[in-house]
Amino acid sequence: MDLLQASAVSKRYGGIAALSGAEFHAAAGEVHALLGENGAGKSTFIQILAGAVRPDEGMINFDGAPFRAANPSAAQAAGISAVFQELSLIPDLTVEQNIWFRHEWRSPLRMIRRKALREKTLELFARYAFPAIAPDQEVRRLTLADRQVVEIAKALARDPKVLILDEATSSLAPRETEWLLGLATRFAGEGRLVIYISHRLQEVRQVAKRVTVFRNGQTVAAHDTASVSDDEIITEMLGRRMERLYPERRDTATAKLALKVRGLSAGSRLRDVDFDLREGEVLGVGGLQGHGQRELFQALFGIGKSRGSIELWGREMTARGPRQALTGRDGIALVPEDRRGQGLLLSKSVRENLTLAVIPRFSSGGILSARREKALVAEMMTFLRIKAKTPDQVAGTLSGGNQQKVVFGKMLLTEARVLLLFDPTRGVDVGTKGEIFTLMRDLAAKGYAILFYSSDQPELVHVADRVAVMQNGRMAAILEGAGISEDGILRAAMIEKH
Amino acid sequence: MTAADVPATDAAANRRRARLIDRAPFLVACVMLVVLLAVYAALREGVFTLDELNVDTAAALTLILAATGQTIVLLRGGIDLSIGGMISLGTVLAATRFGDTLAGSAIWTVLILLIGFGVGAINGLLISVLRLQPFLVTLATWSILSGAALLILPIDGGSLPGAWMSAGNATLLGLSTSVWLLVILFVFWLWFRETRLGLTIRATGSNEKSAFLSGVSLTRINVATYGLSGLFAALAALYLTTQTGTGSPTIGKDYILPSVAAAVIGGISLFGGRGGLAGTIVGAFILTIIGNLVFVLSVSSYWQPVVSGVILLVAVLASSLAERSARRSLT
Ligand SMILES: Nc1ncnc2c1ncn2[C@@H]1O[C@H](COP(=O)(O)OP(=O)(O)OP(=O)(O)O)[C@@H](O)[C@H]1O
Ligand SMILES: [Mg+2]
Repeated sequence: MDLLQASAVSKRYGGIAALSGAEFHAAAGEVHALLGENGAGKSTFIQILAGAVRPDEGMINFDGAPFRAANPSAAQAAGISAVFQELSLIPDLTVEQNIWFRHEWRSPLRMIRRKALREKTLELFARYAFPAIAPDQEVRRLTLADRQVVEIAKALARDPKVLILDEATSSLAPRETEWLLGLATRFAGEGRLVIYISHRLQEVRQVAKRVTVFRNGQTVAAHDTASVSDDEIITEMLGRRMERLYPERRDTATAKLALKVRGLSAGSRLRDVDFDLREGEVLGVGGLQGHGQRELFQALFGIGKSRGSIELWGREMTARGPRQALTGRDGIALVPEDRRGQGLLLSKSVRENLTLAVIPRFSSGGILSARREKALVAEMMTFLRIKAKTPDQVAGTLSGGNQQKVVFGKMLLTEARVLLLFDPTRGVDVGTKGEIFTLMRDLAAKGYAILFYSSDQPELVHVADRVAVMQNGRMAAILEGAGISEDGILRAAMIEKH
Repeated sequence: MTAADVPATDAAANRRRARLIDRAPFLVACVMLVVLLAVYAALREGVFTLDELNVDTAAALTLILAATGQTIVLLRGGIDLSIGGMISLGTVLAATRFGDTLAGSAIWTVLILLIGFGVGAINGLLISVLRLQPFLVTLATWSILSGAALLILPIDGGSLPGAWMSAGNATLLGLSTSVWLLVILFVFWLWFRETRLGLTIRATGSNEKSAFLSGVSLTRINVATYGLSGLFAALAALYLTTQTGTGSPTIGKDYILPSVAAAVIGGISLFGGRGGLAGTIVGAFILTIIGNLVFVLSVSSYWQPVVSGVILLVAVLASSLAERSARRSLT
């Protein structure tokens, strides 16, 4: 007997069909993966299950009875908890206040019992072996990865029968990813259902017993994971065959230095970092998450205070700050970690977001050339396959992966030749991932210099020419050639150095 | 990154620093109040006496009550201009309806409070159901309420029962009614902010979408938020009549912007989610002491808004600096 059955579920947003007749069946006791390219309708579907969005049509059966949740709390009360792709924590509340929000224990005077919050939080953390997070920390101070973990705690706190994870691993480090996969397996083992959305097939293979594939808002296939190959799944997702994910490695690096960094320090998280980035090179940045990678990217881009010397194309950089992005070919461009917070203006259109940083390029003598802008935007949207109805669709309504593509496109349009890519493929589907990697290699061949961090280790191994491994804010090692492997990165990251 | 990845002491120190930065606007307000008091004490005798406390609290309490409602609304991420109209209407109703009997006063006190809550609740409903800007909705209700007040009593007048006046100006254990009311108000706040409603209002102001996804009914929260604001405006009106002894159909407008200013000076973020009543009270006292200073210096009373404005700028600057350094310490 299936715990959850959904049939002919449809949802339109204005002229956009997010779902058109999707089918989904899942049984208790399994981890069920939901796959599909960016904009396929996965998030829309689970938002419907979780009561955050109302379907236009369709039938859902849950636990043997028709089910329709009017809002998220109704769905939770019925036993369905979701970790949404775009996090839904409250920044000014603490971790424990967020986890138990609206479910607090209260004293006879109706006051929230802080001690109970603390105890129950620690209990929950212990029960599922959560990574250490201070329960009294305000959420706005947490890193994206920690917020993700808190969000998971919040979903589990309702003790649901169905746990929905929408790209929950996309911002997690390998260690936390392993933890979450273990948690999902265990949760399903208790006779409950996990619906697992991810663009990482490796993970899906590791946890999911069954997969359902969506394409263009419809269900195109459902299988036992063991009975299909990755290639078959990818073909189903994309509707076409994909030749290969990782492009051929070509050595395009020249002797010319794009970046020469010496003694770069920032706060206590980035200490005395030296490295060179050459023209035509893709330099990977690895190591356990939180060992200074983020700070390195920010210091290079000029966010916050830092010390040390940075030479850009042979010239010492003095005036630092995000304005570098505006200075064209000699500048630096960044794909930031938090696309909703830093990368995008969610209420603006795709077109405005793409061209925001490069307005000077479309204006001759102060007059904006609408035609040139339109042409470039159209080109970028086709190139990155940004799935938007028109360039004027509001960025906040794009699917998660498509938002990430807009951020990427915005950076490309600056024409800066030193690119800082902080997890540029987060939430991007395999098809587009392959295109982004190919693009990175092509740009490198054209003389761009790319610093590349990824929370997905294999990407570093297959795309970067060299990998710098960070540990406690320092560069612990720089791996080259045959030395680059997932194992090698891990070993370099773990070896104690003082 | 997880906390385990950085040395624990480092994390704890960071957290302490962050807390301090968060409280910076409030601390700056406290420092400003102390400085103003010092200046005041240098100009006048007997500033640090119970008498002075009683007098100043009486002068500040109407603003404090109005600003308490405003604080709740600001924490929700909104703004309430209608308190101006409600305060006028409240004083006018009290001055014309109380009569001489205790029963009359009691009934109308309750009625005025109900009207305050009801008008606020309507504000909340309009904002959520019609999805209108709080600024516009409360601007409209301010106008309506002011008009109603003028229809009932075109010019200042009416009268309040003697017992009502003396109750509002009594002393107990050396402290005036106003000080006792302030204490009660603060105790209320200590309770309120720990309730689920208090937390939810703040949470909704912090991030509305997240709150909604966590099961908050935005309509209900808006009704409660603006209802409370209206209720506090009505309380402010009732208290004000014990000080003036008359009804005034135009007096409310003097409290609209100062109520926002008191909250902002005390460190309440206009973007919602952050701050508390202690700050607002400090802010209201700062504005009151500025009034006193202008008086003892016997300069033109038009200096009062000038100085208040400067103080407001300092406060806003302090919170934006704190905000910026908080962001920097995050990276
Ligand atoms: N509020 C909205 N307004 C307009 N269109 C929307 C809205 N929400 C979603 N869509 C559209 O519906 C489609 C499906 O989006 P959805 O978020 O479900 O995709 P997804 O499969 O989760 O993709 P991803 O892998 O990128 O997260 C997209 O084309 C998206 O632009
Ligand atoms: Mg999605």
